[in-house]
Amino acid sequence: MVRPYEVVYIFDSALEESAINERLARFHALIQQPGSEAPQVNHWGKRTLAYPIRKHETGYYVVSKFETVGTALPEFERAIKLEEGVLRFLVVVHEGAQPVPVSTGKSDEEDDE
Amino acid sequence: MRRGQKTCAICESGVRIVDYKDERTLQRFLTERGKMLPSRLSGTCARHQRQLSTAIKRARQLALLPYIKGQAG
Repeated sequence: MVRPYEVVYIFDSALEESAINERLARFHALIQQPGSEAPQVNHWGKRTLAYPIRKHETGYYVVSKFETVGTALPEFERAIKLEEGVLRFLVVVHEGAQPVPVSTGKSDEEDDE
Repeated sequence: MRRGQKTCAICESGVRIVDYKDERTLQRFLTERGKMLPSRLSGTCARHQRQLSTAIKRARQLALLPYIKGQAG
């Protein structure tokens, strides 16, 4: 069954952007379905981690959304796990077309009334 | 003594599904130490409290939110 998925990768921030793109292309080739669209990739860039992961204080975040069959995922996740440049990743089923609420954090004042 | 009914901040902001990538919003539902606030204190409705719970746990895995805040080391 084809379902929408969303993956967040945290790459080692020491990697070059071209190296990251090369790895992304390799991962995405594993879940590419014939006739479906290419994954939507969104680079967040370098961010400070909330806690160190494998002695790294910063990570390069990439979010990608795609549609694929569930049976393609174990192979996909295995490939990511074997990749040293990925500090951490998370694959989830993408629920609903949800625009990212960027500025909702600022509306503290009116909520308390 | 009963206090007035609190309203769910997430319902009011019009968000249907809580996004685990939006750590600024999630931050408001954490204590100073980074624990989840109970809905008893934050006033969130049951549906959104459940969504928040998964969202916060996912955000922690991705190092967007800390498991414990303010701890040395």
